[in-house]
Amino acid sequence: MRKMDIASDPRLTYVLLILVIAVPILTHAVLPVPVTDTTRAVYDFIENLPPSSLVVVSFDYSTSTVPELQPQATIVAQHLFLRPLKILFVAQWIDGPALTDAVLEAIDRGNKIYGTDYATLGYIPNTATLIGMTADIQSFFPVDTLGNPTQNLPIIKQFPATRQAALVITFVAGEPGLSAYLQYWESRLNIPVAAGSVAALAPGFMPFYNSQQIIGILISIRAAAEYEFLEHAQYSQVPIGLSGATSAMVAQSTSHMLIVLMVVVGNVAYFVRRRGKERSK
Amino acid sequence: MKTLTSKEKRKMTKAEIILQIIIFSLGFFYAIVYYVRLPVPVLGTGNLQSAADQLFTYLTAILTGAFAIGIINLTRAHANNVKNRRPIWKYSVILLASMYFMAVASIIASPFSLDPQSTVIPKGVYAVFFSIWQFLYYNVLVSINATLFSLLAFFIASAAYRAFKARSLETSILLAAGLLVIIGQAPISNLIWPGFGTIRDWIMAFPNTAGQRGILIGAALGILAFSVRRLIRYPWGR
Repeated sequence: MRKMDIASDPRLTYVLLILVIAVPILTHAVLPVPVTDTTRAVYDFIENLPPSSLVVVSFDYSTSTVPELQPQATIVAQHLFLRPLKILFVAQWIDGPALTDAVLEAIDRGNKIYGTDYATLGYIPNTATLIGMTADIQSFFPVDTLGNPTQNLPIIKQFPATRQAALVITFVAGEPGLSAYLQYWESRLNIPVAAGSVAALAPGFMPFYNSQQIIGILISIRAAAEYEFLEHAQYSQVPIGLSGATSAMVAQSTSHMLIVLMVVVGNVAYFVRRRGKERSK
Repeated sequence: MKTLTSKEKRKMTKAEIILQIIIFSLGFFYAIVYYVRLPVPVLGTGNLQSAADQLFTYLTAILTGAFAIGIINLTRAHANNVKNRRPIWKYSVILLASMYFMAVASIIASPFSLDPQSTVIPKGVYAVFFSIWQFLYYNVLVSINATLFSLLAFFIASAAYRAFKARSLETSILLAAGLLVIIGQAPISNLIWPGFGTIRDWIMAFPNTAGQRGILIGAALGILAFSVRRLIRYPWGR
């Protein structure tokens, strides 16, 4: 039987990775997660918004990043629905409206009434619409995703333009996404922006956080778990596990540790081989 | 065929001249409009900014046309596979059938429906198509796309053993920083030592931010230079 060698056969690595991810998920292990400043900033900002403030939630990701961003969107949307806020859902990616519906199905909407407290406007096809809706929503969204004329919606009568928004939060997996809101909403109109991001993009958003152009960043599924713990501590009716992020934390921890172990073992093997070659010379 | 050198100037045809004038005008128009707000009525609008936004909506129509061309090409290519019974023709049938079925189902009953309030489409038909669309979208499309994206984790795991080697001082520093961020990002690291989180936050806030700022500024200047070159068609004649 051929000796299995990680260097020549990566299948051993794949098997180990499957095990360290599958076992924690199947055993429903939960791990307390320390809250980072970037997540807490978003939570505190939403928690301190004055009643009846308008929040625009933008779904700027597709089905491939659902495991990372949908938990964030779910738990943040739940927080927004627990507070006395007005919410508009939009999307810069074509999958956004469908993912918005999935989030709204997953959360408890409480006493909030569609059209009065929240509305789903749908897909923003281009920058002109993104800019134009800051002046007049009805011109650029004559109907919402359910076919209702926006001029008849109480929330649009109360907030005819998004320039009145107290916060825009974008769940972003690429472009178009955060940069459009920074360019056209934050820099021109001083609308506060928060971002929920995939892990790969988060380092690129840190300069904007450090310069306070964005008020906070939710980084990957871990931030969703942190947010869930924060929300559960304040609103006990929010169950741990609502977003699905907390059950993934043990799996994330074990898989990260496996990758660190692979790097360390690979480097040890490299140095041992190098020393062997030097000695043989 | 003669190869042009950078010193040779190729004479532009009339059509190329007209096209270049349009590209130059629109490109600089958008650049100027960002900084200058004049109440100049253009294209039936009240100011330059509104005119620019109006032009942008025409761009949407053009891009939609490009989308349609893509669908037509895809259909032609796969229909040819089926017609000529190429080895993968069965996959082409599946592709065409699923593409058109999802398109029709989305138009009839989905968040993108043309008749979301079912004023024309019978409610029964809407309900059937909506349940099929929901199943295909959430149970098939989301799962498949997420699975494909998750393959990256396996590539990274095997690359971690084979490629992430500390061959020099610079790569060692890079490797150490990357490992510290990976460890700090794992919630379990807090149970091992709370300092991992602090180190991760420091790396993200300082070295990472500094590097990212340099990249952002460099990329922005590069895009600006390339765009100006494109607009004025420099090097000349290309």
